[in-house]
Amino acid sequence: MRSYLLKRLPSAALVLLLASFVIFAILRLIPGDPATSLAGPDAGPEAVAAIRARLGLDQPFLTQYAGWLGDLLTGDLGPSYAIGGEVSELIGNGLGATVELTLAALLLVVVLGLAIGLVGATTRRPWVAGALRALTTAVLAVPPFVTGIALVLVFAVTLGLLPPGGHESVLDAPDLAVQYLLLPALCLALPSAAILGRYVKDGLERTLAEDYVRTATALGVPRKRIIRRHALPNALPPVVTVLGMQIGQLLGGAVLVEAIFAWPGLGQLAEQGVVRRDYPVVQDLLLLMVGVFVLVQLLTDLVYAWLDPRIRWE
Amino acid sequence: MALLLTRRRRPGLLSARGLTGLALVGAVALAGLFAPLLTSYDPVAQSDLALAGPGADHLLGTDDIGRDLFSRVLYGIRTDLLISFTAVPVGALLGCAFALLAATSRWADMSVQRLFDLILAFPGLILALAVTAILGPGALPVVIVIALAEIPGFGRQLRAGILVQREREYALAARVGGASRLRVLVRHVLPNAVDPLIVQGAVAMSVAVFIEGAMSFLGVGVRPPEPSLGSILSQSMAYLSTHPAFAIAPLTAVTALVLGFALIAEALNKGIRR
Repeated sequence: MRSYLLKRLPSAALVLLLASFVIFAILRLIPGDPATSLAGPDAGPEAVAAIRARLGLDQPFLTQYAGWLGDLLTGDLGPSYAIGGEVSELIGNGLGATVELTLAALLLVVVLGLAIGLVGATTRRPWVAGALRALTTAVLAVPPFVTGIALVLVFAVTLGLLPPGGHESVLDAPDLAVQYLLLPALCLALPSAAILGRYVKDGLERTLAEDYVRTATALGVPRKRIIRRHALPNALPPVVTVLGMQIGQLLGGAVLVEAIFAWPGLGQLAEQGVVRRDYPVVQDLLLLMVGVFVLVQLLTDLVYAWLDPRIRWE
Repeated sequence: MALLLTRRRRPGLLSARGLTGLALVGAVALAGLFAPLLTSYDPVAQSDLALAGPGADHLLGTDDIGRDLFSRVLYGIRTDLLISFTAVPVGALLGCAFALLAATSRWADMSVQRLFDLILAFPGLILALAVTAILGPGALPVVIVIALAEIPGFGRQLRAGILVQREREYALAARVGGASRLRVLVRHVLPNAVDPLIVQGAVAMSVAVFIEGAMSFLGVGVRPPEPSLGSILSQSMAYLSTHPAFAIAPLTAVTALVLGFALIAEALNKGIRR
């Protein structure tokens, strides 16, 4: 495993380096100049030049890029341009809320996905299977802002069971925090749960048709035990790959869900950064997201080999 | 006799699924197309009557600055369909161009595949934020993001089709008959490999409405006063608890379009695979 890691890590680092260059270059291609917008409409050219010098924007492109990489390596992300405060502080504040939301959604994805797949593959009633198929099609097609608003209209506005949006710290008030978390997490989880459910169902249907399942049935092993001990574990490896890909989707989807439910996470920070042209915030955030994506892919490969002993780390 | 008793399942678009999808998309699209005939209100004209409920004067009520909601939703459908019908063909053509390029040499194939991987590696909304960061908000970045996002789907689909068709006997026969590689590719292989692209087109339309809604909802797409389904939804968010009716019409239109196109895609896919 260590040699496998040693082999994979350099290529992961290379992807990150390439991504950092692309992100940096793209942001510098933006027609507007942050110094001009920061200085305000009445500022003279000297004031703009002073701001450019203070932010280091008058330096050559590659010097700026190298400076940014150096800052990243030392962990000093510097001040934001427009939003205010240190970038590391802004990201730190948002990261907690986003991780909380994503983890809760991931838990729901696994639970709901397994449930959808298990019921879909083992039910003997055609209408149950048909209803599940229709439900997953609808959930997959409908955008999260539609499900989000529908969830708010039903559970917050009509039934008054849950708050329509906002955030509460888990440490201060755990019970309130869960109430605030439930709707956004469900909204974020539904499409991924539907995809996972389809893969679990397909995998289970395939393994349930295998010879060893027929042998176990013939030997009188109860059906529940066959599913739990024989069919399900063998259906899981592709599911893990899909789950890994879905983590990336969850992080991307969080941007939208955070906007719907006024959730103070990285998505809101990214949105603000783009709208207000805050270079440091946007470039650090984009790189962080690519970094998480690369890391998740690496972890997926490792888990894959752990689940299926026939696959070797090479 | 037994043959008569088994229910015949109709293939493709005429299946129950396909007809449902066609009905959903057709109803919404017709409403958008005939918007000027269905309402006499200007979608951007403001009035003093803010946040009125549904009634005889304003079929769905008015929004927060007194614009007629029914009219805004109808013209919003127009905006959405215009954006989708511009962006999806652009993405499809680019994707197909890349797939053809990939078919010319092994090196080109490698490069094109990596390009598709790169596009797919960016979660859609991150791509949207990045493009808007460059161009500023508006309808154009929405079109560009949709087109970019659709390239790999069309490209991979056509590449797979070309790989299969190229090994068929008719293609080999044309080659033996002295046709150049390019001629075989364009005149013989390509026409036989495009069928699955129709399915991909329906999927892409569904995704396009999705992306327009998401971008305008986040405030990086179509900007008010211009109506689009996403921007109306985004506006309605502030009044969800006091005026839920505000959100329901754009919500229904988006759902019908996205679900309709998805159903059409599934039906076409079943029809082709038979």
